[in-house]
Amino acid sequence: MKSLGIFWRQVRLLTYANLKSRYRKTFAGFIWVVASPIVIYYIQSLVFKKFLKLDIPDYSLFLLGGLLPWIFITGTLEMCTPIFTTRAELLKSFRLSPYVLILSQIFDNFLNFLLAFLLLLIPMSLLQGKYSLGTAFLPLAMLQLVIGVTGIASLFALMQVFLRDIRYILPFITNVLFFLTPIFYPIEIVPEQYRVFIEANPFYLMISPFRLCIHQFEINSFFMALFKGSLVSFSFLAMSYYAWKRRMNEFYLYL
Amino acid sequence: MNSTSTSDLILDIKNLSLSFKIEYFKHDGLRDHFISMLKNPIVKLLQKSDRLKVLDEISLQVRKGERLGIIGVNGAGKTTLCRCINEMIYPDYGSIKVNGTKRAIFNSAIGILPELTGRENAELLAAILYPELSTRELEEILADSIEFSELGHFIDTPYKNFSKGMQARLCLSLISAKGCDLLILDEVYDGADEFFRRKIVDRIHRLISSSGAVILVSHNPEQILSSCNRLVLLNNAKIEFDGAVEEGMSVYRNLMTVERKSL
Repeated sequence: MKSLGIFWRQVRLLTYANLKSRYRKTFAGFIWVVASPIVIYYIQSLVFKKFLKLDIPDYSLFLLGGLLPWIFITGTLEMCTPIFTTRAELLKSFRLSPYVLILSQIFDNFLNFLLAFLLLLIPMSLLQGKYSLGTAFLPLAMLQLVIGVTGIASLFALMQVFLRDIRYILPFITNVLFFLTPIFYPIEIVPEQYRVFIEANPFYLMISPFRLCIHQFEINSFFMALFKGSLVSFSFLAMSYYAWKRRMNEFYLYL
Repeated sequence: MNSTSTSDLILDIKNLSLSFKIEYFKHDGLRDHFISMLKNPIVKLLQKSDRLKVLDEISLQVRKGERLGIIGVNGAGKTTLCRCINEMIYPDYGSIKVNGTKRAIFNSAIGILPELTGRENAELLAAILYPELSTRELEEILADSIEFSELGHFIDTPYKNFSKGMQARLCLSLISAKGCDLLILDEVYDGADEFFRRKIVDRIHRLISSSGAVILVSHNPEQILSSCNRLVLLNNAKIEFDGAVEEGMSVYRNLMTVERKSL
């Protein structure tokens, strides 16, 4: 219990230090971190809504519910995958749980994601005058998302220690998955014979409950999506834990 | 040497053994695995890995007041033994018992976030090195360490601009700020300048007299001679010698001579 308290204290301190380090550089740093997903959102919204004229009601909310979590997932994976190898000297110098590094990076990214999300959602809701009961369930969807991201990010970070090209393969995987994850299009437009592949996409399953909270919320669908998402998230966490237990002694050797 | 009572026992290691898997066909990446799988799938699937013994039946006791030097050629298992004691690596067999608190450092020229200042890095380092202490106690340690390091106004400049010596000053000041039952220093004096090295050795000696024991890993015989009152020589994953420092040094020199001749 005491060691768990120490662990979370170190995570909190390092998250705060990460934020300070990121925002310290310049005020533009803060703008960049938060503005970047917002700009991507507006560009995609413009392209798919105005240019391609996708016929989806409340497309702005639909895209917001898919794109922002996607940016959070891929951004976190990109930053966490090389974290053990780039911070190898630190890990080898003291007794510091590698998971402190992973979690502090995830929480740092999560706070940026949350800020960007709220900066988009609040004005949108005010302007459109639409308030969904689903927003009350956002904390549950976010918790599930963070658990899933923790599982995948720690698994990739561990793999990177043993297979040094994982970080270069990762952008390829996320680029492919971007088109196979219903972020800017609804799953309903996918032909029936291909839909099974999309529905098995873990990123889609993790994002789905989040989107349902702000777009076309329906309580039964939400809890079903949350159940599936949690199943995926906890499976990744369990896989990561198993991989860590199996390779932890060789971890310092390969660092 | 071992005439003291069991209440003085700080570290008790019994039959510690550790081995690592060696991959004869070492692959650096997934791409290499993929190519070798395509080139020769049968060899790839049937290839066996062997195990390299890093620590072999190590038994060691350290008592209060002892300044134990560990010496040995590269790959002898010195750092791995210290990491096992510090619970960073877990042994295949055997047991390690530490009576009391322990603290270990394996590199003194290290920062947590180089973009932050020396002071901010010191705050983080203190939280990692002394996780059990309260915020107030950490603040006291921080103030004492910063003063001891004599870094002056540099402490508020970015850590990435610190020289290796300045980084060593800060880290060593922090780790030696508070006594503990077992202090492990692995090749950590190397970055510090001569003046500061003497200062830190004096501080550690004072700490030992008021607390527990120290394990010092070094390749530098002078450091071991000036800082330790007991020596363990590790060779081929085993303890080759355990006893007086001067005697151990002569065994180590003989071993080095034999190794050089065999090359």
